[in-house]
Amino acid sequence: MKLNRRIFTFATGVALALSSSVSFAGEAMDRVMSTGTLKVATDANWAPQSFLNDENKMDGFDVDVAREVAKRLGVEVEFVTPSWDIITAGNWNGRWDLSVGSMTPTKARAEVLSFPAVYYYTPASAAVHKDSSAESVSDLNGKNVGASTASTFNLYLQKDLTIDAEGTPSFEYKISPSEIKSYQDDTAVMDDLRLGDGVRIDGMVGSLPAILEGIKNNYPLRVLGDPVFYEPLSLAIDKGDAEFNDKLAGIVSEMRSDGTLKTLSEKWYGIDYTTAIE
Amino acid sequence: MSAPIIEMTNVNKWYGTYHALRNINFTVNEGDKIVVCGPSGSGKSTMIRTLNYLEAHQEGTIRVNGTDMHPRMKDVDKVRMDVGMVFQHFNLFPHLTILENLMAGPMWVRGIAQEEARKTAMMYLERVRIPEQADKYPGQLSGGQQQRVAIARSLCMKPKVMLFDEPTSALDPEMVSEVLDTMVSLAKDGMTMVCVTHEMGFAKAVADRVIFMDEGSIVEENDPINFFENPQSKRTQNFLSQILQH
Amino acid sequence: MLFADTVVGDTGVHKPKVILIMVVVATVIFTLLGLNDTIFGEIMRPVIGEPKESGLFGNLSVGFVLAIILVINIVLIGFLPFRYQVIVVWLQLLALFLTFFYSFDLKIEFIRSKIWFMITQGVFTTLYISAISIILASFVAIFGAIAKLSSNGFAFAIASFYTSFFRGLPLLMQLYLIYLGMPQLGYVIDAVPAGILALTLCYGAYMTEIFRAGIQSINKGQWEASRSMGFGFGLTMRRIILPQAMPLIIPPTGNQFIAMLKDSSLVSVIGVWELMFLARTMGNKDFRHMEMLITAALIYWCLTMVLEFIQSRIERHYRTASH
Repeated sequence: MKLNRRIFTFATGVALALSSSVSFAGEAMDRVMSTGTLKVATDANWAPQSFLNDENKMDGFDVDVAREVAKRLGVEVEFVTPSWDIITAGNWNGRWDLSVGSMTPTKARAEVLSFPAVYYYTPASAAVHKDSSAESVSDLNGKNVGASTASTFNLYLQKDLTIDAEGTPSFEYKISPSEIKSYQDDTAVMDDLRLGDGVRIDGMVGSLPAILEGIKNNYPLRVLGDPVFYEPLSLAIDKGDAEFNDKLAGIVSEMRSDGTLKTLSEKWYGIDYTTAIE
Repeated sequence: MSAPIIEMTNVNKWYGTYHALRNINFTVNEGDKIVVCGPSGSGKSTMIRTLNYLEAHQEGTIRVNGTDMHPRMKDVDKVRMDVGMVFQHFNLFPHLTILENLMAGPMWVRGIAQEEARKTAMMYLERVRIPEQADKYPGQLSGGQQQRVAIARSLCMKPKVMLFDEPTSALDPEMVSEVLDTMVSLAKDGMTMVCVTHEMGFAKAVADRVIFMDEGSIVEENDPINFFENPQSKRTQNFLSQILQH
Repeated sequence: MLFADTVVGDTGVHKPKVILIMVVVATVIFTLLGLNDTIFGEIMRPVIGEPKESGLFGNLSVGFVLAIILVINIVLIGFLPFRYQVIVVWLQLLALFLTFFYSFDLKIEFIRSKIWFMITQGVFTTLYISAISIILASFVAIFGAIAKLSSNGFAFAIASFYTSFFRGLPLLMQLYLIYLGMPQLGYVIDAVPAGILALTLCYGAYMTEIFRAGIQSINKGQWEASRSMGFGFGLTMRRIILPQAMPLIIPPTGNQFIAMLKDSSLVSVIGVWELMFLARTMGNKDFRHMEMLITAALIYWCLTMVLEFIQSRIERHYRTASH
């Protein structure tokens, strides 16, 4: 059988032709202003920061902050929900402009992302099943501890957490687990822990607000001792747009000084998490 | 006065090291009816298939309707349109009705309008005496009927020459004659025909010349009377005595 | 159905020896499961006393009773004609599954408030991504099959490399490679097109083999007849070969579509709001994941059953219509 060469050239071209929605990375600020839309990446699985509400719309503290930022930029907001590890990997190539996802500005992340402004601080705490005999954080030494993957909690357990944002409270590594189990997100960790003490894991490290939210929803968990560290949480943008960086920093400091951030924090957490606690 | 429509000059063909056609020379003039016979493996099917280039030859020249057949030729399809071919196993298109089988060629490659193609198709179906089967599918017809449809399908292309490659070999014995009758009537109308067949009755009735092939060569070529009554070669005599025994 | 022998012996499950073996085996299994502290033990309380303290005796009694119930059930089903056996066994298994789901203490009210969005957003996205992908994959497969059957070494090499590569990698990895890798080449591709592209390329590779087998199954005589009438390659392929190959190609392609429907759940990792994504996220705020996961599972199952029904219709159509 002879093949018409043209047919084949066409076949190999199909792959390229498919990627019709091609765009090229440009300056974030220009892109936002020219399209009039701020594309924000958030996790849809991170209540109460960001989640799908009863109307099946994105909602939560991070979402409210993002809306406010967009409003002050004078543009519309649009949310996309890629998985967390894709957001933290950087190199967004203009797929979205900004992450408002309670991201801790670690040193490793700072190599691929810029952090314009810290907008609040959350305590990270250890938690166990309510039947556990553990009394203090150090009781988790040599145990099987869970945390969501690519998170600061996971890095903390690995003793590899460096947060280089200004005003970060210092901390020390208090847990030496025998095994660290990694999960898709905090909820998945809590779902494994609720099965019983030591059934799948003996304890976890996660964001205190998330753990408290779980307990409020009848998860049989108990928070262990004082928070192990406070993590500053920041907006993140792709590297390389200083103008956008400064603009966002300005907006966040405005939101802090006029009390908007405090109001939002109290709305979602009942507590003001927007200033560092020593 | 008739002009040559097919000319084979010193044609050789090999399958690997097997020498399938040896130095074939022969000419078909317009209006000729030629019967090719020979034992199986003698190269007669290979020879007829080179005429519309379903098989390629390696040496010599084949000229069909004024066009040289060679591997880099540009318009093989043009030549093929003018050379009808009927196969041993009919090779009708099973997913098309009889009428669609007949209309496909004229409409798709000749660019004939549908109405006209239908008229031509019906005309040839009458000709092979099965117009009532027009809307059936090939699988619903008997072997003899299918072969007659295959002949009609070729005729719809209005070919200048018709090639028959053992058209009755795959048929049940009682269906052979209906196909041969069709071929005889075609011959009487003056169609140029090259037939590979063992039907010696057909050869006697219509052939201008009979060609006997063995081991890839043309052993003997003669008019039917002399061919059957006075075969020259030993091999021809052997062959004839074998197939005329019964 | 397999070849059915005309000589029929006694029904296996009605032979005393078989019944005895079933009772013993079932009793052993149920006993080893230690069911005395479950609802079954509770029901047996009058016989075994306090379930928690009944020990081996309790486990054995519960196991034996359950085994007897199970075997009686099997023996009774053995009396039914084929058709009713199928229906009864289906209903019983379904009931077991529903009991299993029910044991999670699901909040039906919550499911009801979410299911409409799951269908309009999730099922719709899942279906349209799968449908577009299967259509594109069919085109890829046609060209792949032609190239694989081609005498052109260049075309064959590309096609065989393509099928080898995309059948050799996990679909999830292909998805990541396309979504994260393409931007490195300067093409920023959105989540939905990336998902469609990954599904298309992966399934195109599998379907290349289906199309190749279909095209190859067509008798060489069809090519010869077409070519001898002056049909070109493309015309022959389009009007003669592919129409005849379709009855062989479409049924396995339907199966691929059903498989793709489920594999499309992988695109949830790049943030496409299809059924799987919603199943994972919608229960998040209220900590009701089981509700959403089970709902999505049942939706997938129903979709698959509908498609399998259509599939069997298509298969029957082509079986009877083959002239």
